[in-house]
Amino acid sequence: MKSLRLISRLLDYPDETLAAHLPEVIHFIGQSDALSPRLRDRLLRFIEYYERRELLDWQSEYEGLFERGRAVSLHIFEHVYGESRDRGQAMVDLMKRYRSAGLALAERELPDYLPAYLEFCATQEEAVREWLQEIAHILALLATRLRARESVYAELVDALLDLSEVEVDRDGLARQVAGEARDDTPEVLDKIWEEEAVSFSAAQGSACEQGITRPSAAQLKDDKAITWVDAGNHAPDTSVMLGSKQ
Amino acid sequence: MSHFLDRLKYFKKQREPFADGHGEKTDDDRSWEDGYRRRWQFDKIVRSTHGVNCTGSCSWKIYVKDGLVTWETQQTDYPRTRPDLPNHEPRGCPRGASYSWYMYSANRLKYPKIRKRLVKLWRQAKLEHADPVDAWASIVEDPEKAKSYKACRGMGGFVRADWSEVNELIASANIYTAKRYGPDRISGFSPIPAMSMVSYAAGARYLSLIGGNCLSFYDWYCDLPPASPQIWGEQTDVPESADWYNSNYLIVWGSNVPQTRTPDAHFLSEVRYKGTKTCVITSDYSECSKFGDTWLAPRQGTDAALAMAFGHVILKEFHVEKPSAYFTEYVRTYTDMPMLVTLEKKGVRLIQGRFLRASDLVDNLGQGNNPAWKTVALNKDGRLVSPNGSIGYRWGEKGKWNIEQRDGADGSDVTLQLSLKDCADTIATVAFPYFGGTAHEYDYFQNTGHDDVIERLVPVKKIRGADGETILVASVYDLTLANYGVEQGLQDPNCAHGYDEDKPYTPAWQERVTGVPRGEVIRVAREFATTADKTRGRSMVIVGAALNHWYHMDMSYRGLINMLMMCGCIGQSGGGWAHYVGQEKLRPQTGWTPLAFALDWQRPPRHMNGTSFFYNHSNQWRYEKLEMAEVVSPLADKDKWSGSIIDFNSRAERMGWLPSAPQLGVNPLQLTREAAAAGMDPKDYAVQQLQSGELKFANQDPDNPQNFPRNLFIWRSNLLGSSGKGHEYMLRHLLGTRHGLMGKDLGEAGGKKPEDITWHDEPREGKVDLLVTLDFRMSTTCLYSDIVLPTATWYEKDDMNTSDMHPFIHPLTKAVDPAWEARSDWEIFKGIAKTFSDLCEGHLGVEKDLVTLPIHHDTPGEIAQPFAVKAWWKGECDLVPGVTAPSMILVERDYPNTYNRFTSVGPLLEKIGNGGKGISWNTEAEVDFLKKLNRTYREESERDGRAKIETAVDAAEMILSLAPETNGQVAVKAWQALGEITGRDHTHLAKPKEEEKIRFNDIVAQPRKIISSPTWSGLEDEHVSYNAGYTNVHEYIPWRTITGRQQFYQDHEWMRDFGENMCVYKPPINLKTVAPVLNKKPNGNREIILNWITPHQKWGIHSTYSDNLLMLTLSRGGPIVWMSETDARQAGIEDNDWIEIFNVNGAIAARAVVSQRVPDGMAMMYHAQERIVNTPGAETTGTRGGIHNSVTRAVMKPTHMIGGYAQQSYGFNYYGTVGCNRDEFVIVRKMNKVDWLDGEDVKAAAAAEEAVQ
Repeated sequence: MKSLRLISRLLDYPDETLAAHLPEVIHFIGQSDALSPRLRDRLLRFIEYYERRELLDWQSEYEGLFERGRAVSLHIFEHVYGESRDRGQAMVDLMKRYRSAGLALAERELPDYLPAYLEFCATQEEAVREWLQEIAHILALLATRLRARESVYAELVDALLDLSEVEVDRDGLARQVAGEARDDTPEVLDKIWEEEAVSFSAAQGSACEQGITRPSAAQLKDDKAITWVDAGNHAPDTSVMLGSKQ
Repeated sequence: MSHFLDRLKYFKKQREPFADGHGEKTDDDRSWEDGYRRRWQFDKIVRSTHGVNCTGSCSWKIYVKDGLVTWETQQTDYPRTRPDLPNHEPRGCPRGASYSWYMYSANRLKYPKIRKRLVKLWRQAKLEHADPVDAWASIVEDPEKAKSYKACRGMGGFVRADWSEVNELIASANIYTAKRYGPDRISGFSPIPAMSMVSYAAGARYLSLIGGNCLSFYDWYCDLPPASPQIWGEQTDVPESADWYNSNYLIVWGSNVPQTRTPDAHFLSEVRYKGTKTCVITSDYSECSKFGDTWLAPRQGTDAALAMAFGHVILKEFHVEKPSAYFTEYVRTYTDMPMLVTLEKKGVRLIQGRFLRASDLVDNLGQGNNPAWKTVALNKDGRLVSPNGSIGYRWGEKGKWNIEQRDGADGSDVTLQLSLKDCADTIATVAFPYFGGTAHEYDYFQNTGHDDVIERLVPVKKIRGADGETILVASVYDLTLANYGVEQGLQDPNCAHGYDEDKPYTPAWQERVTGVPRGEVIRVAREFATTADKTRGRSMVIVGAALNHWYHMDMSYRGLINMLMMCGCIGQSGGGWAHYVGQEKLRPQTGWTPLAFALDWQRPPRHMNGTSFFYNHSNQWRYEKLEMAEVVSPLADKDKWSGSIIDFNSRAERMGWLPSAPQLGVNPLQLTREAAAAGMDPKDYAVQQLQSGELKFANQDPDNPQNFPRNLFIWRSNLLGSSGKGHEYMLRHLLGTRHGLMGKDLGEAGGKKPEDITWHDEPREGKVDLLVTLDFRMSTTCLYSDIVLPTATWYEKDDMNTSDMHPFIHPLTKAVDPAWEARSDWEIFKGIAKTFSDLCEGHLGVEKDLVTLPIHHDTPGEIAQPFAVKAWWKGECDLVPGVTAPSMILVERDYPNTYNRFTSVGPLLEKIGNGGKGISWNTEAEVDFLKKLNRTYREESERDGRAKIETAVDAAEMILSLAPETNGQVAVKAWQALGEITGRDHTHLAKPKEEEKIRFNDIVAQPRKIISSPTWSGLEDEHVSYNAGYTNVHEYIPWRTITGRQQFYQDHEWMRDFGENMCVYKPPINLKTVAPVLNKKPNGNREIILNWITPHQKWGIHSTYSDNLLMLTLSRGGPIVWMSETDARQAGIEDNDWIEIFNVNGAIAARAVVSQRVPDGMAMMYHAQERIVNTPGAETTGTRGGIHNSVTRAVMKPTHMIGGYAQQSYGFNYYGTVGCNRDEFVIVRKMNKVDWLDGEDVKAAAAAEEAVQ
């Protein structure tokens, strides 16, 4: 599956080698019979987009997209386990599966790095599709999130979904991600952060009154207005602030 | 799945029983067991710890499987403690337990990164210039180009780079800067070496070799308590947490032990089961309050008033009315209370002067050596004596620097008089300054109506001076009683005759200031002192940041330390002060300093006090509104204090008190060339040029481009995210990028400008050409950097870690290789050193560098300026380097050999020896040992035959071999060296461990307890827990102060000018940062003014962890500010509302936590919440809301600049200006609109780029 290996390369950090080989890649895409027209279009759309740009811009876009934050991380288990303890074991298991296929990780990368996973898939002959299907739900999520960010990288992930031949409810996911996007809004954040209000009723607190000194009345300023001013009257100087209660 | 198809229907298993039918052999499928077996399988366990800025230093097991870290658990194999002392373990906390999750997080830094705009310029310049150093010059010397990348700082736009490219750029920048501007224009900041000392040493060694500055951190964090050097001549020597368990009365004061000292808190709860009573003093209802049998809640910032009232009760009841025999002997022997102080006429008043010295008396009281530095007391027979142990005995003679009760002249036994009441020639009226009468701008802090000068009666002796004049003297004891307002039978109308009198400093008086009921104060003081009396000093005070972060922190600290001294608690098991903020004791210190500061190759290194550096270079002084006249004593000569804070700092540098960075106004490499051309010794040349005014110190013109801090390294720290007081000033002036500064500078505002500093109307922006940060995650500081280097995490490197909380030394061990392209700090700086050496050619060779060095504590030079403060530039004295000005020392730098020197142990250790804190010893044997252990180089180079320091483990072995704490043989040598000066034999303290040598592999096997050494004042013993001052009290080793004793009295001229010769109450100062912006940009919501408090938090430690999802989930997940219900109601704020906090320094956007925990008038934001997490824009500034330091600015205090005066002499992280920040007030209001400024960074970066093109 050369096409998978190609997508793997394209999903990796765009280094100079990749940039230098773009013409060759375009040539391959034009020539290859193995690619469906739909896949070919996707790949070309992606390449055309970046072909016109400076490599440095491509790189910094990549850095800003994939290496800041978690939502579109290219490490598969980030989306499954996040920072939970199970992640370590999951990576160990995945490595074992690579090993039983006769392959060992050569780069200093984690086993769940998507381009590495794809490269592995590419070696799996008939089983490719199954391997891709295993992560299809993550791919679908990634693709939708990338679309929401208007990133052309979505084409690559969509291409993977095409290859996996999994039917994805794109509209549903889009709705879900659209809902997710509301994560950023203050209203939803409110919900997530809200803590139960704790109330200490006055009747409760008699048990520990004796040895404990609470702030004395002199420290309470409920009835003095000296630490605030009413901005409504646009008082420009501090004399108001220091004055007595209005 | 059901087992329908697995089960047999027609067969049964053939049974093969054994053990009389109790057992049965089966061949059932057991694969189901893998489920749990594999889950907890691992290939290896590695011991490591967390090198974060935390005192914990806990030992952890790191589990590794297939080269991946899978989880960690607490180690439980600490050597057990002696009977009746609880064990240390398990040590750890939720932050540590969550670390393995962080290593592979999406937030981990994986590759070296560089700002896109800069790398584009760099690659272009490299095409145009064959030499990379020239390429760098072509960028930074082109204002357009330089501005184009500086303006993008903080706005994203990074690309990956490979190590060779970033090393080349960094080395080129360093070479160019050293060559063009001087090596002292390169600086590095890294905190708390104890937490991963080899990683710290890596950067410091590189900087020291090339002549760059290492910036101090303890003072900058404001964790350094200046009271400690003032009183003891020692910085933050404290008991280990196990010693809490030996205490019989514990005050926990402004320290939130369960929250910030999680692994040690158990000793606090355990000792309560033993019956120890506890009193917790915190302004808010903190997590620690529930540990208290008593909880006192003074208004924040007024703790000194409470301490003074405690002291009043103790003095009255336990020293005057019913003196405790133990206390009396203690203060006589171990404190300056019997010492005599001169009284001076000033106008109609008699004011307190300096200590009487032997040189003031006829025939120098028989003292030939250093009579100006020998203090004098009155013996019970009426004879004036110069008792052993004062600092004059420390230098220039041997055998009498001890605190045995003897006359230094003839060695006869003495009993020094405390009070002169019974032998007084007269009872004099002496003036005491009072500061509590000043009203605070916001009326938040209460003032009392007393006069600013209070006159009290003091018994006085009249003695004959050297020239026959009459000198009036009083004892520190009598002055102390008078200062506390304690009546001792002199019928003083200004002293209190009862606790209910409202006179400073009675319990009734403090009630008005602090709000604490007087009865509680009297009770706690009595309990505290009674316990100490009965147990010989087992009363302890645990103290923390809540007291130390105020401008007048010295008063709170001296107040409570005075209590401990009055009650004989210092140096006694279970007693003393326990300050645990930020220092994290680097136990094998003297083994580490040669490695860290390259003392094995060249001395001295360049050290700089961080606070002055940042205050100066981020131009905070251009906005300074605090006049010194506002804070000096009413008894001081105000004309002398007309300058701005920066003027006094500059004067302190020129007088040799404080260090400078950069040092002189020219490139020091160039200066030595000019000297050679003039045929003069460089030092003489510099002196001549300074005197003629041709040459200036860099600090006199910090805005001159020649004096910019051009290159800055930051490692192991999130300087801009957590500790950057005056954050927005740094963004503007140091970095030259977008900032939220709202205040006007003195030029724009028409304020009074500094007297000694050259003023440029045009503000300078972007002074730093290259900011390089090493981290393992994308921190706020990384976002602002030009180059970000990915470091190894704490499970990916070899290193060492010690703490003041326990006596063990721990390793960090490499469980796995650094992930992705990360490297350990040691390897990173080694790599930079290599490239630096390679690229030097044609630019830097063997160069002569003139280094200025302030007068250092614990050196013979520390007794430089015994009497008045004199400025050589005004002709008040000659410019004598090392006496009236900094020393000027020629250092030869072999730049092409930087790498060779970095990686090998240099020859100076064999030649000069090693040592610390005023003693030194021969260390040839240890260097020889290192040559065998680490092996030597065999090659044609400077390092041929020298011991290797290739790896971090080699470096660790160097520390362990050289340090007395980890090499028993060195410990014995060190005690011997000290014994020569004290005239006493101390070697018995280390002899039993002489053959003990701790190697790196030993600490990997198990945490090891260190060996007692004279570097520290406590013992690592089988019989006592570590407690500071223990050897002073039990071995009669003097404290390293003028008197050799613990000092109630501080007699330097500037201390007296600030009215701090005695401890007094000083209310918080007024920083004037609110009025100019109050109601100026209304959003319709009510604006209230609150005091700004920034304590340490539970879900993060300084810079690290707070952006971890788990920690965010446990807290509220974004920036939050706590406030009281009352204040919230007044401002119409409800819990979880978005609020804006601002003043002239900048603005913060955060959520409100409305809680009964917080007293009225206070807003509290935990330290170091990240700017990169969930931070929306602020309405006032229109930029992204800042961090907790966006509304702060450093304000310095001249008493912390004092130098050349025994214990008040400079030392790195020992003494110096501190970055206090709690006197700050802020405006708080509800936000109308929360704008997340999504995509703003990207847009702004694009806009900045367009503007350039």
